[in-house]
This record gives sequence, structure tokens and C-alpha cells, in this order.
Amino acid sequence: MSRLFLMALLIVALGPVFTGAAQAADGKALFGFYCAQCHGTEGEGDGPNVTGDFPVDPRNFTETAEMEKISDADIRNVIIDGGPIADKSPMMPPWGKTLTDAEIEALVGYLRQLCNCTGKTG
Amino acid sequence: MKTGASVFPALILLVMTSSLARADAAAGQAAFESSGCQSCHYTQGPATEKTIADQLAKKGPELWYAGSKFQRPWLETWLADPQPIRPMKFNSVMEPNPGGHAVLSADQAGPVADYLMSLRSDMVVDGAVKVKKKNLKGKLIFIKKMPCSGCHQFPTKKKFSGGLSGPSLIGAGERLNPDWILAYLREPKVFKPVKMMPVFVGVLSDKDMKNVAAHVATFK
Repeated sequence: MSRLFLMALLIVALGPVFTGAAQAADGKALFGFYCAQCHGTEGEGDGPNVTGDFPVDPRNFTETAEMEKISDADIRNVIIDGGPIADKSPMMPPWGKTLTDAEIEALVGYLRQLCNCTGKTG
Repeated sequence: MKTGASVFPALILLVMTSSLARADAAAGQAAFESSGCQSCHYTQGPATEKTIADQLAKKGPELWYAGSKFQRPWLETWLADPQPIRPMKFNSVMEPNPGGHAVLSADQAGPVADYLMSLRSDMVVDGAVKVKKKNLKGKLIFIKKMPCSGCHQFPTKKKFSGGLSGPSLIGAGERLNPDWILAYLREPKVFKPVKMMPVFVGVLSDKDMKNVAAHVATFK
């Protein structure tokens, strides 16, 4: 009985750890599938679409100082509605009809890993 | 009576033609299966991919609605002399397409094209898109308002332009059925439940989608 109780306690205690790891993995997988085509596999803004014809420079997510200037809400809004919502290029598509809320949150979390920053609050 | 006499042979001809087409499609299916095409392309709908991993496990594009998607003359020519459509390897972001798709003999290409053209989706409405020489509204959406050109190559006055991660749309006017382009924009998840291209349902109006489909259909 006490062994069962301990196991249950362990599962409850480790649950968030496993969930967190799964979310981080999802963010990376989502980034590689949807975002890397323009932002590059390492998030440096150099995906295969960025040829001489590409009219803008996709954001480099590893530039910590630049990424510190924007909030999680800013990132979320641009993912959902595309570049024009932040006066940026329509080359950044609106992904709001493609991704779920949980997937968008996972991506925001992954971008924060790439920039190693938290961004401005509010 | 005179009308009946002329209609009767026409009916016989129609029945014979459709029987021949079915025979060719059956021969094409046999050639498709014996050539191992199914190891990369699935032909049974509906789509079953649910996750990114499901999509990445596919070795080539699904063909269960090929007859609604492609134009037959282009398909037969391509099967006998396949040239890369995607600048990048299927499902790869960084690896260029090395080419080397299996080539069918001239004897096989026709029947396989017949077979693939028999695979149809009832989501595609014949004649829904009216193609004219130009569609300026569609052009404006394609190159300015929406990011289509960011991922798809397209013809320009100079030569061509556009990104590399999506299938090239150079020659799309001969390759794709405009009504399928519209159906794909309207109901993307029916055809490709998990894909690198954004969903534009609720972003573009139905009229805008028709204009984009009509514009893409002008690409040479």
C-alpha cells in the first residue's frame, strides 16, 4: 500500500517535468517543420527561401538583444496574424488557422530557448 | 428515326471508348504496382496523416486524388521524363532535390496516367475556376498581400522568382487542374492534413481563393 502511494506521489511529482520536456520537443519539431523554411533550422533567419529574390530578412531568433525588445504576446500575435499585424512583411504568414493554441505556446517557448532571453513583459 | 440512327453509333463509340479507358486504367494500375510506385506514393484516400511525424514518414506525395489534381497530357509526359517539381527534396527543408524519380517507358506512361487520372476526389468541383489570360486580383494576392511567392517559384517577365521550400509553380498552368487548386485552398486538410503551407481558410475569402487559383493557372 505504501509502495503504491509512493509510486503515485512520484508520478504526480514528475508529471510536470515530463510534460515540460514534451512541450520543448514539440516546439523544436514544430519550428523545424513550419518555421525553418524561412528562419533556418537553427533560427538564424537563413532558411532555403531566403534567396536573392526574398524581399525581407526573416528574423534571426538568436539575436538576444533584438528578441529582448519583444514580448511573448508580440511573438504570439505575429505567429497568429502574420507580419502585417506588427507592421512587418506579409512574407511572414498568418499561422493562426494552421496551429493550435498549444502549438503556438510551444513555439513561443522554443523561440525563447533560441534567443536565451525572456523578452519584455506586458 | 433519323436522329436515333445517328445517336446509336455515337453511343456505341462512347461505350467502347470508356471501356478502353477502363482497360488502360487497369493496365496502368498493374504497371504502377509492379513498378513499386506504391513504396513512395499511397493511392487510397482519405488522408490519414495526423502528426508531423506521420507526414515526415511519407517518401513522396500522396496520389489518391491525382486525377483531380493533375492534367492528363502533362502527367503522361512527366511520367516518361520526370523532372523535379520541388526545388528541395520531398519533406526536407535543407536538402536540394537530387532528381532521379523513376522513369516509365512510353508504353507504361499512358496507361499509368490513365490509372492516376481515375483517382478522383469529389471535393473538386469541375468548372469552379474561370481561367482567363490574366487575373490581376489573384496576382496581387499571390505576390503582395500573401506570402505565396515566399515558398513557391513562379514565372516572371525576366525568368522566374520565388522561394524554394514549396513545390515550384512554374508550368502550373499545364500541370495542375485549377479546380483542384481552389479545392485545396478551400479544404486543405482533406488533401494534406499536415503540411508546411499555412491554412488560408478564414484568411482569404472564397472569391480571393478563386482569383489565386485562376492566377496560378496562368503560370507557364
